[in-house]
Amino acid sequence: MTSIGTGYDLSNSVFSPDGRNFQVEYAVKAVENGGTAIGIRCKDGVVLALEKLVTSKLLKKDANKRIATVDRNAGVVHSGLLPDGRHFVSRARDEASSWRGTYKAPIPGSALANRMGAYVQAYTLYNSVRPFGITAIIGGYDAETELSVDGAVGNGPKVGAGGKTQGVKEGGPFLYMVEPSGLYWGYYGAATGKGRQAAKAELEKLKLDPKEGNCISLEEGVKEAARIIYVAHEDSKDKEFELEMTWISSMSGPTKGRHEEVPKALREEAERLAKKSMEGEEEEEEKMEG
Amino acid sequence: MNHFPEAWGRPRDEIYGAYNPTYLPSSLGGAHQPTTRTQSPIVTGTSVLALKFSTGVVIAADNLASYGSLARFTDVHRLKPFNKRAVVGFGGDVSDMQYLDRLLNSLDVEENYTSSTGDSKQGGEEGLVDAPLMSAKNLHTYLAKVMYKRRTDFNPLWNALLIVGLDDQSQPFLASADLLGTTFSAPSLATGFGAHLAQPILRRVVPNEAASRELSREKAVEAIKECMKVLFYRDARSMNEYSIAVVDENGVELSENEKLENQSWAFADRIKGYGTQVV
Amino acid sequence: MQQTGMLGEDGIHIDMNHLKSGEVNLGTSIMAINFKDGVILGADSRTTTGAYIANRVTDKLTQVHDTIWCCRSGSAADTQAVADIVQYHLGMYGVTNDEPPTTQTAAALFQELCYENKDSLSAGIIIAGWDHRHGGQVYAIPLGGSLHKQAYSIGGSGSTYIYGYCDANWREGMSEQEGIAFVKGALQEAIKWDGSSGGVIRMVVLTAKGAVRHLYLPDRNYEGPGTDKP
Repeated sequence: MTSIGTGYDLSNSVFSPDGRNFQVEYAVKAVENGGTAIGIRCKDGVVLALEKLVTSKLLKKDANKRIATVDRNAGVVHSGLLPDGRHFVSRARDEASSWRGTYKAPIPGSALANRMGAYVQAYTLYNSVRPFGITAIIGGYDAETELSVDGAVGNGPKVGAGGKTQGVKEGGPFLYMVEPSGLYWGYYGAATGKGRQAAKAELEKLKLDPKEGNCISLEEGVKEAARIIYVAHEDSKDKEFELEMTWISSMSGPTKGRHEEVPKALREEAERLAKKSMEGEEEEEEKMEG
Repeated sequence: MNHFPEAWGRPRDEIYGAYNPTYLPSSLGGAHQPTTRTQSPIVTGTSVLALKFSTGVVIAADNLASYGSLARFTDVHRLKPFNKRAVVGFGGDVSDMQYLDRLLNSLDVEENYTSSTGDSKQGGEEGLVDAPLMSAKNLHTYLAKVMYKRRTDFNPLWNALLIVGLDDQSQPFLASADLLGTTFSAPSLATGFGAHLAQPILRRVVPNEAASRELSREKAVEAIKECMKVLFYRDARSMNEYSIAVVDENGVELSENEKLENQSWAFADRIKGYGTQVV
Repeated sequence: MQQTGMLGEDGIHIDMNHLKSGEVNLGTSIMAINFKDGVILGADSRTTTGAYIANRVTDKLTQVHDTIWCCRSGSAADTQAVADIVQYHLGMYGVTNDEPPTTQTAAALFQELCYENKDSLSAGIIIAGWDHRHGGQVYAIPLGGSLHKQAYSIGGSGSTYIYGYCDANWREGMSEQEGIAFVKGALQEAIKWDGSSGGVIRMVVLTAKGAVRHLYLPDRNYEGPGTDKP
């Protein structure tokens, strides 16, 4: 931040002489202060998890959900400025419903990420606006089975061609992360917020590349996600937090292709395991010291 | 060139005479009739029947979409489940049915923006964590308003709907809404031809609310199936394959490929000529 | 009140309603079927204004994307306008999403146009396409703008004469040769009994290999030339 005070950081639409948009870089700082958010793209689904820092004891537990559903098959988790995130989600919902309006089908993950990337990018161009103070993780599942056109009736033929090609693999889980600059990539595992470094280190240890085989399952993913949030929370141990988790599977999986909250029982089990593994590590550390 | 489209590219008045505005709407001096949007149905489905019983509601409609008298499409399912707790049965125009189906689809997506646990009953110790899902009663109110709005715009959705399910108190719910925005509720309801042919039979089964509270599920299903048979005999726009659904505490049980059973035709054997003939 | 149908004093009055009722109509026989490897579209080639044949070699099979085509019936002007709009949208879809549109996408676009403009259109359209994900599919959009997925679909004025033929002869999972014979047999009957259908039989076969046109001429007893040059 050597150029602070030179005036090039005051407006969005002005580059610094070395080609930087400082407003965007400051927006990234806003993200870096937010609770850790992660997404894991597993073999048969996607998990989104959030370290929701408790800002007041007066807030109701388990209320004020932060991971949002955008369409049946997609969800968004973000860290950074909360209201910016809400606006992002609202736009994502509009995009999803406008796609449905036109094409009578759910929006593919790639198209949603593309449109949201473009939208966020537009907020880096004009001096009348400021960039988004969030990094958002978009997760979901593009249906592998044939999807009928919304509203259509009739079945077509029972055998042969006619919307039932055997053995064609399409769709599957998707995970994208959109940054304040509008930059977005598809990921196997994504992390943002305060504990992102620790979270990324943990994510990299997981088997997530389907090409290498042995990719972790959705249920394993849920447990890993809980554990990683606990690991990422280590550095801000003094603050209380709630773990929020959603997941989405294929039509044949536990969520039947819908983005849903992880059931309470499963979440509590994942949290129990996460706490246990944390205690285990501490013991080991103590032993090493001893 | 000016801003009056009716003058664009017109020959000069002094040579060709004044512009003839008759084709324009009357507001511009023309003799044109007002714009009309009231359509008529093209591809249509016939009756929908429904009957309340002690713990739920049963609803049925056949799988035919007619094109005038032509039995054009024979695999059109006219019962649409909503939210796992309600079913809408559609009679009338199929394109408008599909419009409403998409409307309900988007409503369902919006419902899940706020509650995304899939099961609304799954909650913490304090009861519901999620906002409760729309009940059949809520759905009926919504659809009735949609229908009324459209008829008020002189652009009706050409349907007769039956909405069945459970209300906010988990009691059986059955009500209708139609293209005029009219709503109605009763222990048994039928639209279209069914209003004439099935409703009297159903009323004999459940004359009032008290009777419907006593009716078993089996008896209700049986009565509806009997009515579907009568309608197949007497409604020239019906077919013998139909969909039937039961909604109760356990959710929606929908079967879309039922066939009419135990039909009575053999008595045709005794019918000879049209009065005097005996051979 | 009803002056609108008359010629105005200026002698050059153009009446919109009059144009609409004297319009070129595709009193037609069209159809599309699924077969083992994809779909086949078929149509006659007669276009009439009243009893006069305005065009005896019409092409009613219209491409809206590489392997998504449609059969048009009803008003020629209306269906051409609709097909042009859908063709534009599918083209845009292809380049913006980096993958070709599916038959579903095409059907959804056609349906929205036909439904939202039902008061001003007279269009009965059959959409048939092949795509990598789903293979072949056939959709029908009749007059009101509803959308129906079908194993095979017939449409136009001539179709009323061949409901029985098609129902009796239809089999699922036919080979290409069997499919062509089915379509040809059905359209021959429609041409025979429907005064508003006639001329040549055109077909388009859509498979993984792309689109192939066929032509069958009445003066060759509808036996050829098929895919060859006449």
